[in-house]
Amino acid sequence: MKLTHTICPSCSVGCGINLITQKQEAVGTYPYKRHPINEGKNCKKGRECYELLNEEKRLLNPHIKKSNLVKSDWEESLNLAVSEMKSCEPGEIGIIGSGNCTNEECEILKKFATSLGVENIGFPAGNFPYFDFETASLNDVENSQFILIIGNILKEYPLIGRKVIQAKENGAEIITIDYLEKTNTGMISDQYIQTKSIRDFLDKQAKEIQAKLTESSVIIVGKLDHKEELEEFQQIAAKSNSKIIPVMKECNSRGAMKTLSPLSEEKLKAMIDKVKLLYVVEDDIVSHMGEAVKKLDFLITQSTTLNRTALVSDVVFPAACWAEKTGSFTNVTGNTQNVQQIVPPPGEAMDDAAIIMKIAEKMEIDWE
Amino acid sequence: MDSNYLLARAKDKDLLEKGECGGAVSSIFQYLLDCNLVEGVLNLSHGEDIYDGIPTLIEDSNDLIETCGSLHCAPTMFGELISKYLQDIRLAVAVKPCDAMAIKELENRHQIDSDKIYKVGLNCGGTVLPITARKMIELFYEIDPADVVKEEIDKGKFIIELTDGSHKDLKIDDLEDEGYGRRVNCQRCEQMVPRNADIACGNWGTEPGWTFIEIITPKGKELVEGARQNGYIEVKAPSEKAVAIREKVESVMIKMARKFQDKYLEENYPSLEEWDEYWNRCIKCYACRDACPLCYCRECELEKEFYQDSENTPPDPLTFQGVRLSHVCYSCINCGQCEDVCPMEIPVARIFHRMQKKYRDQTGYIAGMDEELPPLYSPEKE
Repeated sequence: MKLTHTICPSCSVGCGINLITQKQEAVGTYPYKRHPINEGKNCKKGRECYELLNEEKRLLNPHIKKSNLVKSDWEESLNLAVSEMKSCEPGEIGIIGSGNCTNEECEILKKFATSLGVENIGFPAGNFPYFDFETASLNDVENSQFILIIGNILKEYPLIGRKVIQAKENGAEIITIDYLEKTNTGMISDQYIQTKSIRDFLDKQAKEIQAKLTESSVIIVGKLDHKEELEEFQQIAAKSNSKIIPVMKECNSRGAMKTLSPLSEEKLKAMIDKVKLLYVVEDDIVSHMGEAVKKLDFLITQSTTLNRTALVSDVVFPAACWAEKTGSFTNVTGNTQNVQQIVPPPGEAMDDAAIIMKIAEKMEIDWE
Repeated sequence: MDSNYLLARAKDKDLLEKGECGGAVSSIFQYLLDCNLVEGVLNLSHGEDIYDGIPTLIEDSNDLIETCGSLHCAPTMFGELISKYLQDIRLAVAVKPCDAMAIKELENRHQIDSDKIYKVGLNCGGTVLPITARKMIELFYEIDPADVVKEEIDKGKFIIELTDGSHKDLKIDDLEDEGYGRRVNCQRCEQMVPRNADIACGNWGTEPGWTFIEIITPKGKELVEGARQNGYIEVKAPSEKAVAIREKVESVMIKMARKFQDKYLEENYPSLEEWDEYWNRCIKCYACRDACPLCYCRECELEKEFYQDSENTPPDPLTFQGVRLSHVCYSCINCGQCEDVCPMEIPVARIFHRMQKKYRDQTGYIAGMDEELPPLYSPEKE
């Protein structure tokens, strides 16, 4: 039995957690109380993150589509992927990364695309646009006197929720906006505003609340309906010198944004419509784009599990999961933390960067 | 070795130097591993700094040096690590009183085999949460926490040693008045000497470079005798004065703990309205249940369908906390792990500790110390 420090891959807060391993297998988690972000407190998803490594559907071998998806080997699957890519013009290729990729993987993916002359590259970021402003720190949230929250932060991102609770205990006023009749965050707030849409709130109620914002206020944006709304919240914050913190889902959304363009569903759809071949790294694109991928001529996927996207792909490469590879994640406040390989990847799986390198080698790409 | 009290220190030079109080505890572990009386030793090793204690299984006695020295900023819990992952091996474990209490409860429930485990107890005046310790050192000592190479709790003071060899100390009372210092559960704990372990080791009453050992069980007696006969430790009898000082320290600390029990469980106990506010924060993440060393059912009642609530609102406190309370409050050992891991800062251990205390006052049953099982205990779960 061994305990190793790592960073939780479940969301973008970047909590620390100890992974318990036995005979090279992840068997559980244990509180990491020395970690400055969460002090040993983790949400349920976080405490169960080791299960990602042992999922039943983990891919152990490369697969290719014949009439069905069948087991293949690295040589055959790489050759097939490479020959299809070579037959495409750069404009016919799209490359999709993920907010779950490490910073290093995003950089290699970007380099790979640039070397090929591929411009259609990005990662699905829901409704969050690119931003590079300085966000509020978690200490800012804890020490603020007024907090405006969009979404059910307590439930979705409990370790930011904790900072809200601490601020409340210090006397901060909390106002929450969301769609449902009742939410956890709404119930601990001084005021809960149920709204039809964020647009509706911005148009009708934002002004009134803006008057409450000061330089010791924080706006926590846990969800958006449209990417333009972030800029509006940012303007509201700027006018009152208050701080803002957009909270994204994936553990490295903030880091991925530095190298890859964040893509809304709309943009993603446009890209799929434009290209013939799509190369997807770690995103289960079918789970959020559905039928749209059907029109593609060829789909190549790097995935840890046999997910919906893998099932409809022409080539599937088995990828290493978090804790099976080394790299870094940049959290919601822009803090970059390293993660080390703790357990080996299962079967023939390799880390995403190594797979891309193999493809690049076969494509005879000159990296430097 | 007639008396149950003795002073001991390592014979090995490295352990004598690096170990706490002459390295007797490390040497006893060395003896157990070398003579194949155990397959592993569960202890804490230093992580990135003195605020980072990592539970570590040592299987080669040469590696024991990594676990030398005591860490007061590591509020870890070993109970579940043993019952879940180390059940199959013959084990020695360094236990704080709360670890020993958790192990005792798990032994009573047949989750840990007492024949397979040596419990080397460490006297404990309480632990400090690592990030709290760092903040407190910055704020009140006005020192960069990274410059601290060692910390110690002695004579009511939290003492830090800096890279340049200098010391700085502040009264724990003053720190705790400001909301820092030891964890509130530790403040309330009156089990400083783990008399539910095989031996209890510490520095109270001892002379520099020696560990004071109280032998508790026949197994403990055999253990210390074996370590001595095989040349791992040397022992001598403590002076009467040493024994008296140790007793005095313990009784003063128990008195203090009872004051804190009154403060947290009676005078400042949250009102019903305040509890409503706390329960309102609950996101039903099960962290309290999962961290509780006594909760071990394979199928948890709380996950049954008839207890399911809406996903986006707090659970009904009666069917969540209430059910947990009815299952484990009589056995609560006040280890505080539930409170440590609660993302919503609910002081959940208070209600459990208060219930246990009331039950104890009525019946004399002390969780984690007694042989018998608590009321309403169902052996079907084993």
